[in-house]
Amino acid sequence: MSTFSIVVAVVSLILGALLALLTIPVLVWLERRIASLIQDRLGPNRTNIFGFRLGGVVQSFADVVKLLLKEEYYPSHINMGRWLFMLAPVITFVAALLAFMVIPFADTLMINGEALRVQALPVGFSLLWYLAIGAIGVLGVIFGGWLSHNKYALLGAARAGSMVISYELALGLSALAFVVTYDSVDFNAMVQWQSGVFWGVVPAWGILVQPVAAIILIVALFAETNRNPFTVAEGESEIVAGYMTEHTAMKFAMYFMGEYVAMNTASAVIITMIFGGYQLPWVSTETMLTHFSTFALALMVAIPLVVAVLIRWMRKNNTVRPTVSTDGGRGFETKVLSIALVVMTLFLEAVLLYLGFFAENLVANTIAVALFQVAVFVVKLMLFNIFFIIIRWTVPRFRYDQVQHLGWYYLLPLSLFNLLVTAIIVVGVTS
Amino acid sequence: MSSNIKVVTRHGNSLKDKLYLPAIYDGVKVTFKHLFDNVTDMNAIDTLEYPEEQPTDITSRYRGLHRLTHRADDTIACVACFMCATACPSNCIFIEAVDREDGVDEKMPKSFFIDTLECVFCGYCVEACPCDAIRMDTGIFSLTGNSREDFVMGKEQLLSHKGAFGEEVSCART
Ligand code: SF4
Ligand code: SF4
Repeated sequence: MSTFSIVVAVVSLILGALLALLTIPVLVWLERRIASLIQDRLGPNRTNIFGFRLGGVVQSFADVVKLLLKEEYYPSHINMGRWLFMLAPVITFVAALLAFMVIPFADTLMINGEALRVQALPVGFSLLWYLAIGAIGVLGVIFGGWLSHNKYALLGAARAGSMVISYELALGLSALAFVVTYDSVDFNAMVQWQSGVFWGVVPAWGILVQPVAAIILIVALFAETNRNPFTVAEGESEIVAGYMTEHTAMKFAMYFMGEYVAMNTASAVIITMIFGGYQLPWVSTETMLTHFSTFALALMVAIPLVVAVLIRWMRKNNTVRPTVSTDGGRGFETKVLSIALVVMTLFLEAVLLYLGFFAENLVANTIAVALFQVAVFVVKLMLFNIFFIIIRWTVPRFRYDQVQHLGWYYLLPLSLFNLLVTAIIVVGVTS
Repeated sequence: MSSNIKVVTRHGNSLKDKLYLPAIYDGVKVTFKHLFDNVTDMNAIDTLEYPEEQPTDITSRYRGLHRLTHRADDTIACVACFMCATACPSNCIFIEAVDREDGVDEKMPKSFFIDTLECVFCGYCVEACPCDAIRMDTGIFSLTGNSREDFVMGKEQLLSHKGAFGEEVSCART
């Protein structure tokens, strides 16, 4: 154990925790803003700290404070099961959180001949861990709904149970098809496999190699996260709030946040398994390391462009209409944020310039590439989360018998057939 | 078979419909277009930036906060007949009557309270009033206060509200 390995392990753990927890307020805010923008509204954009509204993201923190201060209320009829009633949201939340921990954020670091995984939980059986821990989340839903002794909550719990039996099989079988293709249950190995190309030009991303399994996986993960079009367990238009009807204050918040952590985890799994994870298409880690100065130059051109677009967008949109007399500090905010962005860009440029053209330090280059991969991962993660959100505000909810029908009559045979074909092709290619 | 029977063709049985994914694609196209348009130009969204921008489209039929109207001689038009209090579905009008000493009419309210926290703004009180003494044409749509008592409107306050649409005095008691 060298110092490097300890540092990398601690940093990956912190990174994993931050990526899972800090994205919750961002995702809640994104959900609300995107929903309103889709519906031609503005959404929460006013809460601020010292005039800084950051587009309204501060609202989520205000909401957390509100939920913390709310009255804890327990229905009087849950006498014996109170501890489980309290534990149920925690199960859902923790399961989603733990499942996130096996996602690799960057390629395995090779420092002084040591291979260090950039993974919060550096395990080689990541996919199995995800399937096992991720499936526990629904237990929290079922416990919570069942223990509420409430008709609606019980119906929600029953629906959650019916959901599990409809998607789990298809999920497992489509994941199996990927395991056969990538010849590994390790997420990191999967991403490395996907950084290659096939037929000379097409990036070997899972969605292009295994389109059917990819679609089944996405559908099944939508079901697993309890998001639209599979919100049958919550079913607010039919059964009040489903399993969480009786849960108040922080217990409700746990379910609520658990949903977003689960969505984040599902996005991470999807991009890791079928969208090339932390890799950009066509450039593998080795390419970036061997042509480091080219890579640094490309980044030095790209970063100012992105920042310029961002600042232009801010100056146009972080304003009020001409008819409104006061801008509520938005001009000031735009100015401060623009300066901060420019300073950050200059700093990054200086670092890249030094690393790319003056220092010949392989360790520093490796770390720079790893950080870049983390950034790519975060961008992809956010894009897929936005996709989740757009889908939610586009499609109506399935009835839960329709979900079962879909799972058993379409997804299951399709994934079985796909697995068979995959196996035949893989055996044919390798032998 | 009777000729009146109309056979409705069922949709949703073609392969494209059954796949469901093309439909999701079409839907996402619509929602994404809205999202993209609005993200690129937030200020073009057709909403009111309330409270900096106030609504300008309140019509004369809008049921705003109540007011008690005046006669032409600027005295209260209400004759304390209790019609409004009887009609009120929320029982939130509380009137106490006294004899009117100035000879204009026989009776007038000594006190007249409307509890706007109970009020459902149905407008039945306005319909019931025989003297056109209570109206909801103030155009006031936003009511705030720091305590529950702030929301109980007294006679003086109700008399002080101005009509927003030109008709100031009661049309039935001049
Ligand atoms: S508007 Fe309706 S509820 Fe309100 S005071 Fe008049 S009658 Fe009562
Ligand atoms: S407001 Fe009209 S209905 Fe009510 S007591 Fe006065 S006169 Fe009668």
